[in-house]
Amino acid sequence: MASTSISKAEKSYIQAGLLADPPLRADGRALSDFRTVSLETGIAPLANGSARLSIGKNPHDGSGGTEVLAAVKVEVENIDYAGGSGVEGGRVACTVTCSPAAYPHLRSEALDDLQYDMTTVLHETLSHSSLHPQNLAILRGKKSWLLNLDLVILADSGNAYDAIFMAAKAALWDTKVPRTRSVEYKAKKTGPTASVAVGGGGSMDVDEDTVSGFDTRQITHATDFELPDYWDEGEVLDGRHRWPVCITLNLVPPAHLLDATTSEEAAIPLRLLIMFSFESKESPSIQGMRMLGSGELTTAQLADLIKVGEKYAQEINSSLNVKLKDEDLRRNQKARERFAQR
Amino acid sequence: MASRLEILNEGGFRSDGRRQYELRGIDIDLSQQGHADGSAIITHGLTQVLVSVFGPREAKMRSHTIHDRANINVEVAIAAFSTGDRRKRSRGDKRILEFAATIKSTFEPVVQTNLYPRSQIDIFVQVLQQDGGLLQACINATTLALINAGIPMVDFVCAVTGGVHSTFPMLDLTLLEENDVPNVTIAVMPKTQRISMVTMETRLHVERFEEVFRLATDAGLVVHQEMKRAISPIEEQ
Repeated sequence: MASTSISKAEKSYIQAGLLADPPLRADGRALSDFRTVSLETGIAPLANGSARLSIGKNPHDGSGGTEVLAAVKVEVENIDYAGGSGVEGGRVACTVTCSPAAYPHLRSEALDDLQYDMTTVLHETLSHSSLHPQNLAILRGKKSWLLNLDLVILADSGNAYDAIFMAAKAALWDTKVPRTRSVEYKAKKTGPTASVAVGGGGSMDVDEDTVSGFDTRQITHATDFELPDYWDEGEVLDGRHRWPVCITLNLVPPAHLLDATTSEEAAIPLRLLIMFSFESKESPSIQGMRMLGSGELTTAQLADLIKVGEKYAQEINSSLNVKLKDEDLRRNQKARERFAQR
Repeated sequence: MASRLEILNEGGFRSDGRRQYELRGIDIDLSQQGHADGSAIITHGLTQVLVSVFGPREAKMRSHTIHDRANINVEVAIAAFSTGDRRKRSRGDKRILEFAATIKSTFEPVVQTNLYPRSQIDIFVQVLQQDGGLLQACINATTLALINAGIPMVDFVCAVTGGVHSTFPMLDLTLLEENDVPNVTIAVMPKTQRISMVTMETRLHVERFEEVFRLATDAGLVVHQEMKRAISPIEEQ
């Protein structure tokens, strides 16, 4: 876990502050207060979907804070032949890269370890079949979409896990998968076989065995696909309400802390990460859970933390959804204004 | 999907609508990024690079210190989503290491490292978007980030790419043009008009080289003006 080194005295000072009554934090926040979260989608025009999320960035000069860039790119994969690594119905692959600028005190090996850990947590959670979007298939048994989600952590002031899950959700929300249409190649019927089919002298018009253009049944022997509209960005990813949010509960028993800063993270050895998915308000599900650091919890404590974590995650999820809809509106508005001014 | 694009058409326009010697629009953002001592984001058209500078500070590894000057450490990361096709490049990629070494050798004579013996200056380059002129953007952003960090330098370092399409020289090439046309990247120090770095990976006729070289040097001075304009509000404060 990335942390600046912190003295024992400072550690105990922070912990004492959190266990006091009322609890005290260095920046004056309450235990369950988040720093300001700012989000912008569509920051990488070359990607199919992208977002930039920052927590706790100074509004005056843009310094500090935890900042994450996320971008989704889709590519076509072969399923069976030519050594293709595709899977029926498409697949999702996530990668997290930590910029050395975000962790200036870490050596490159430690940085690699950290980014591997974060990649694993994110990938294992998001690539699970319960969250799999249904519109990543192209041609059954032949081609499918591979959805690559890449995240870059540009700065870390604590609470990186929450930030990467929120940024991932935002980028996936913003993603548009190009619409495809299957194509079947048919050899032209010429020569003796054609004349036999016509039959008779030749003055009679006989219906040939051709497929009508109005036949909308699935072409089962499609061999390739095409993009019906090159300039169309595509359709949104299926099930984009399902993508989970992560809530990190930093544990100082009996209290717990949300959105810890770097020094708070260094002073608190044990954290619990819970990933909640809210497909509908009534049926939240836990998509993953991780306990990081050294420490122990009783099962009763764990149950309480899950309950309270769900409430926090619910709030984060609803504000995130509001902001994402807002961003969609803002970008469509801008596009419409530009078009109107032409 | 598009029909064959002309690098330079009869009207004198390039594929992105620019004239022969026209540079792409330069956008410079010097706001602070994270906890860096100095940072800069430069955008040349569609190429966007973020550079963060840390230092001079105590070296992470004692073995990397030099007794009489500062050690400059350059690390380059190229985002997988920076190009049209997604390509994941690991940190140890030879191309990237060469890139970083080029940037380091460009700045080693320029930064006054003798003022900070046994310390380290870290330059972290993050490529966000690529559309040609990558080395140019990285060098320009590094200059600005070093200035933003207050690290003393002998002069600015301004980089520009130049290329030749049949006999017509062009400046500030996009990715399309770079793939098609012999091109050279030069870095110039504007006060003395001395060249700090030249790289060329394509073949160019010797007679064409001098012309494009001079043009690129002049273009470097134009980039210098843009940089000065970007940092002057800071000086006024």
